[in-house]
Parts: sequence; C-alpha cells; structure tokens
Amino acid sequence: MSALLSGRRILVVEDEMLVLMNIEMELDDLGCSSIRAAASVAEALALLANYGFDAAMIDVNLGGEKSYPVADALIGRGIPFAFSTGYGDHGDRTDLDHLPMLRKPYLRADLIAMFKRLFADGALQTAAA
Amino acid sequence: MPDGKIKSDAQNKGEETVDAFRSDLGPFVVAAEKTRMPMVFVNEEPGHPVIFANDAFLALTGYARHDVLAKSFQSLLADCVDADTMRIVEAAFRGDCDKELDIHYKRKNGGEFWASMFVSPVYDKGGAVMQQFVSLVDLTRHRQENARCRMLIDELNHRVKNTLSTVQSIVTQALRRPAEPAAIREAIESRLLALSRSHDLLTSRNWEGAGLHDLVDTALHPFKVVAGFTERFTITGDNLHLSPTITLSIAIALHELATNAVKYGAFSNDTGKIDIDWKLAPEAAGKRLVLRWRERDGPPVTPPAHKGFGSWVIERGLAHELGGRVTLDYLSHGVACTIDIPAPAEMDK
Repeated sequence: MSALLSGRRILVVEDEMLVLMNIEMELDDLGCSSIRAAASVAEALALLANYGFDAAMIDVNLGGEKSYPVADALIGRGIPFAFSTGYGDHGDRTDLDHLPMLRKPYLRADLIAMFKRLFADGALQTAAA
Repeated sequence: MPDGKIKSDAQNKGEETVDAFRSDLGPFVVAAEKTRMPMVFVNEEPGHPVIFANDAFLALTGYARHDVLAKSFQSLLADCVDADTMRIVEAAFRGDCDKELDIHYKRKNGGEFWASMFVSPVYDKGGAVMQQFVSLVDLTRHRQENARCRMLIDELNHRVKNTLSTVQSIVTQALRRPAEPAAIREAIESRLLALSRSHDLLTSRNWEGAGLHDLVDTALHPFKVVAGFTERFTITGDNLHLSPTITLSIAIALHELATNAVKYGAFSNDTGKIDIDWKLAPEAAGKRLVLRWRERDGPPVTPPAHKGFGSWVIERGLAHELGGRVTLDYLSHGVACTIDIPAPAEMDK
C-alpha cells in the first residue's frame, strides 16, 4: 500500500497552506515523490501547460475563485482527478457531479481510497482507449 | 377595454366613487394616497381597470398616474411579471388563491423589485364584488438581506470546514515524529492559540484584513509580553493594510519563527535580539512587500537535523499561498528569514 503513488506525478490545487502541507505529507507517505502544488487557477493551468501529471486533486474554492477551469483542462487532457471542498456542491456544474469529491476535513483512509479509485478508473480508460 | 381615452361607464363611476370618498372621507383618502404601502383599487370588470393608485404604488412601479388610471391592471402587470405569476394573480382576482403571492416585478425602465401582493374584493350592499383592492409590501430589502444571510452562512461553513482541516493538519504534524505527550500537547496548543489570536485580530476588523504592525504585535504577544522579551525585539515598519489571507499566513510564520528562537535561537540565551522590519519595494512588475526577520547575539546557530512544521510553513507554505519568495537561512550568527511577496493593490496609498 505504501507504493500506491510511487512513480506517480500528482498535481495538488489547494490555497490553504496548512491543508496543503497535510496532503503533501500524506502523499509522501504513500510513496509519491513528484508533487506540484498550485494555489490559484492561473498557477494550476501554468503547471498543466508545462508538466505531465498522472492524477490531480483540486479544491473547488480557491480564495473565492472556483477551480472549474482547472477541472476542464484536466478533463481535456484525460488526467484523472478528484475535488476536495470545504462546503457546498458544484451548483450549476452538474456535469461534474459524478467525479470523486473529498469533503474537508477527510480521513487519511478516504484520501487513499480516492487515489485507488482514480488509478483504477484511469487504468480502465487507458484499456478502453 | 379601457385605453385611457374612452372610459367605460364603470370606469367613470369608479373614479367618481373615489372622488366622492375624497370629499366625504378626506383624511382617509389622504392617508391612502400618502401611506408608504403601495395600494391600487381596480374595477370589477374585464381586465380590471385601475380607478385609484396611490403615490407609493407609482413610486414602486415607476409609473406616472396617467399611465395607470383606467388601464387594465392585468395588462400592466403582465408586461412586468412572468406567466406563472400572472396565473396566480388571475386566480387571486377570482378569489381562489391560497398561496403567498410573491411577485418579481421588472420595471419597463430596467429596475426590478420583489413584492408580496394582497388582493381583496370590495362588496356592495347586495354582496356583489364591485371593486378589488390590491396592496403590496416591498420585499426587495428583505430578499437582499436573506441573500446576504445565505451568503454569510455559506462562507461561515466554508471557513469552519477549512479551519477544521487546518487543525487536523496541525495535529497530524505534531504526531508525525515520536515525542513526549507534553511536547506534542504544547506544539498543538501553541499553534491553535496562534491561529485563534489572528482570528481575533481579523474579527475585530470585520475580516477585512489587518495592519501589519497590529499583526506583528498580535502574533508576538505571547513572546513579548507573556515571556518578557519585549525589550529584545526591534520592530520597524508602517502599519500597512494586509488581506485576511496574508494576515493569517504571516501570523503563522511569525509564530513558528519566534517559537524556534525561544527553543534554539536568539531567545534561548540572555542576550539575543531579534530585528523585524519591512518595507514596500517598487519593482517593474508591481510593488512587493519585503519583511525581514534577523536574529543576533544568540548562541551559534546549527541548521536543524530535520525540517519540521515550522520550516515547511515558512519555506514552502508561505511562498505557495502568497505567491512569493521566502528564504530561511540558519546563519551561524543568527537565523535570517526574508519574506518577499507581491503587495496587494490596496497597499498602494
């Protein structure tokens, strides 16, 4: 289980630094050695333009700014991802309702289950392609 | 249909009735004309032509009196509300509306309002409906306040969940390495209290931000006043206005720096001092806020064997959340930290 994320490149979009710290340490424990973090939509899009990623987790609300442009860019690139949110749903973006969502605060076990699901779904997508 | 030029007999009769009221019931008609509650009388005939509209009704809807007198009330309304609302209004005029009749009215000049409408028949002596009385309560402000409350509750929920995540992070980090329960407890408590103090500071400013001097004073209060290190700090800089996000992040960083200074740095002997200063630095791409923390006269510094919560927050967290450059150097004569972040536009005085 400790190797769940070994060799995986993960994008984390989260504006609260202490929340990001927890995610980074958890991902580190799961064997992930390539984590890039963005605190805003612009930064996340810049990272996506410059680096490859195997999966992502993105906070819905980035200091008042919704992260949907990042979600659309991830969908466009076929990168599996999950949302995390402090509160609320996707409002009028009902097309995103089927995507995994972690509600803050979440258990470590939920974070692990979420990545397992992302890579399981991702494997299916690759097999189908 | 009344068109404003040729009035029906009923219209003339209705307006005459109002005029008769005016002479017979002077003060009551003046009251009806001047009350702040929008009111209309309409005749009970097809289309319900208006025979009386008070000043408040005209002010609310934006019409002049000659725009409405003898005009069909339903036609006037149909231009300004949606079809569903019209069906309920029609039902109310027939006397079979059991719902709250809230209307969203779009004025022809572009404005809009929300109002609760009340329709009540006026009977003659024989019990037949002669007229209908329509009154409105303007709900625009009420609606705006409700929307504001919903927004505040959403925002509160969002902050509570994020704060709980932050606390989760603080606790998890404190437990990552083996330590004495007392040390773990101290690490968690001091960080929670540091967060709490910054919340107090922001709350006292309606969460619109805080002054940098006030922030430094608040964040270092336990070290200055409680621990008695006031004389050993030199703090220089203007009380620049900071956003809530910057306030919270810098407060956490200052707390970590000061905690480290007490344990290993300038405040771990009797002579060490800490200089804190900041200034706005103009740059081509916009102003930057440069804050420096300099320790001196403490014991010789050795870099830590492992990087913990404090180093992470300062070196990585701050730079990440504030989009800036942060350096933390364990120089042998004292720890030096420089926080260099883009200055928010509101700092430009």
